[in-house]
Amino acid sequence: MNSGTAKWQRNIFIASFIIPTLIFFCIFTIYPVAQGLYYSFFDWSGMSDTKTFIGFDNFKEMYHDPIVWRAIGNDYFLVAGKVVGIMVLATFFAVALTRFGFKMAGFFRSIFFIPNVISVVVIGVLWNFIYNPQIGFLNAFLSLFTKEQVTITWLGFTDHTIWMLLPPAIWAGIGFYMILLIAAIQSIPASYYEAASIEGANQWTQFHRITIPLVWEQIKVSVLNIMMTTLNGSFVIVWIMTEGGPDNSTQVMGSYLYQMAFRQYHFGYGASIGFVILILSLITTIVLQRLMRHETVEMS
Amino acid sequence: MIMKKKFAALGIATILAAVSLTGCGSNKNEEASKSPSASPSASTPAATESASAPASESPDNTVKLSGDFEIQYFVGGYGDKWWKKVIADFQAANPDLNVKESGGPKINDQMKPRWIGGNPPDFVYIDGAGLNDRQMVEDGQLEDLTEWLKDAKNVDGELITDILAQPAQQFDGKVYNIPLVLNSWGIFWNKGLFAEKGWAEPTDFQSFLDVSDKIKAAGTTPFIHTGKYPYYINGSILYPAIVSANNNDFTVLQDMAANKEEAFRSPAVLAALNKIVALRDKGFIDKASIQINHTDSQMLFLQNKDAFIPNGLWMPNEMSKDVPEGFNFGFIPSVTQDAGGKVVANTSTATVAIAKNGKNKEAAKAFLQFVFSKAQASQWAELSGAPSNIKGDISSSNAPSFVKDAAKFLTDPNTVVIPTITYNADVDKAMMDATDALTISKITPEEWVERVVAVAKKVAK
Repeated sequence: MNSGTAKWQRNIFIASFIIPTLIFFCIFTIYPVAQGLYYSFFDWSGMSDTKTFIGFDNFKEMYHDPIVWRAIGNDYFLVAGKVVGIMVLATFFAVALTRFGFKMAGFFRSIFFIPNVISVVVIGVLWNFIYNPQIGFLNAFLSLFTKEQVTITWLGFTDHTIWMLLPPAIWAGIGFYMILLIAAIQSIPASYYEAASIEGANQWTQFHRITIPLVWEQIKVSVLNIMMTTLNGSFVIVWIMTEGGPDNSTQVMGSYLYQMAFRQYHFGYGASIGFVILILSLITTIVLQRLMRHETVEMS
Repeated sequence: MIMKKKFAALGIATILAAVSLTGCGSNKNEEASKSPSASPSASTPAATESASAPASESPDNTVKLSGDFEIQYFVGGYGDKWWKKVIADFQAANPDLNVKESGGPKINDQMKPRWIGGNPPDFVYIDGAGLNDRQMVEDGQLEDLTEWLKDAKNVDGELITDILAQPAQQFDGKVYNIPLVLNSWGIFWNKGLFAEKGWAEPTDFQSFLDVSDKIKAAGTTPFIHTGKYPYYINGSILYPAIVSANNNDFTVLQDMAANKEEAFRSPAVLAALNKIVALRDKGFIDKASIQINHTDSQMLFLQNKDAFIPNGLWMPNEMSKDVPEGFNFGFIPSVTQDAGGKVVANTSTATVAIAKNGKNKEAAKAFLQFVFSKAQASQWAELSGAPSNIKGDISSSNAPSFVKDAAKFLTDPNTVVIPTITYNADVDKAMMDATDALTISKITPEEWVERVVAVAKKVAK
């Protein structure tokens, strides 16, 4: 009897934690996702009180929409560029700030982290000024080395403007992942490195034989997180800097969703784009997890 | 194990409960949104004769307005001073009516659920992002005013259609909204700079090209536009150029708005696009244009880094804090006409309409009659800094001088005034993208036409 009451109390206790969270999760995540999927089967302006059921027509139209394919290409370009850029630089900085023990490490850690506390909107505006062809920093800097004033329109190339969105996105992302890796590296016992040094291993060998295997879990989490936040969140930087232009060359799925749903009054189509983003994120997560499956090295 | 099963069951039960709860929530919301605050009886004006009422403002003062009456107005570049004033005046004239105002810069988004839920405000001012008259008409959100407007008189007893400077736009021959503002797109320059450098102010396309050559030779870039929002260059250069090339007949633009393929394929469109190509190929267009927004392009113009800018008449007001001393705005509605040809003014407007599902349409119509009067016209010009769409002399009002100048331009018999035209949003976007691509040599004028025709065809289906 007593054990039954204890068990019951335990269940109540656990339920009191799970149920409210679950309810909020259902209301704020499951329900909107289900609603989004529901709207994707309709031809709806987003303003009208009537909608027309059109089955999979929105998805069929997406298949034939060249901007959708370009947007998906841009999304994965940003994912690849950010994963490589952020991970290489964040790992490099993390190793530099922990393994070489120089005095200014704390200062640099703060400096590198600053972009993370700035709103993406501010970052977008800031980099717009850097890229401004007339009064921008970049052209002014380049003009120091040329006879004539440099007037490159950094965000106005006919084809490769999307490249220009990588530096701000990488710059804004490094700090957080650097801190994550610093924490991981600091948890590696110094004795490993000492033993390796005695055995004659140089810094590079130590890096790829000790540091990388022991922080692999953090690297994996970082890569997945960069991928997910990019597929779901590059909308902000794109919208602030180019609004998908010129001529849709920097459109990503998020910005195209916004454009179609709220600027061109195709809410149903926008919802179907949203659903595709969800599916792409899920597939990419699974693929990346498989690709990065690695024997887990545990510290004993 | 049993424990695990119990938790699983508990979890499933909770999900089911939550799902049903969310269902309840949405149903309740719909219920709530469908129950209007105004009682049905209140929306039908009591037809009580008020013999003692002074024969004042209301021409049909036999009908005493009562009940709730809600006005939705967006607050943007024109501010909300006029709205506050006119609503207060209307309330004073109709003490039994409970006028509710829903205004603000985000009001279009805030009211969206009510439009979707079939419980919109009675009266709407269509301006700002999120509201598009053509889309609202297609969605069946606006009241058909065609018959009513034919003999509707304002509070002064004048026929409303007689005093409108520009007629209402027709959608398949029907009228749903009436233009309240009459603004114009056009080309600006700095008169001070032009006088100082001895540059001639442009009057037609040839003189525009000639002076641009001089400007370029003097080391200044002749022309900057807002590539991030290409509707500035479309509104100020392309559309007037199309009308000029079409013997000043603007019906070609109306046909374009009706998604007629032959309109886009008309030689006038190609001729106009080739004028943009001429500017591009002569190196007159500032390279920075393609990537900058309106504020940046306006700042560069105000710094005299560029001589001409396509923009709307609201620009001097918008940039008033940044206008340097000695900067004197010169303005012409179009530069794309041949020598001796008429100036073409492409109007930019904001309209007012009555919601089809509104509860108090009588009050909404009375408000239209109240708003479209000469007294309100000069009050609008004074409080919003833009010309009103009501004919009338505002020279004696306190309106800013450039507003008076603009009004003069728009009422000049030698100006071809393009009435309000709203393009389909998809076609509009295609035209903007294509113009951007044209200015950076990515496409040819023929490709511009093909691109836009493809979208127009798809939309027309």
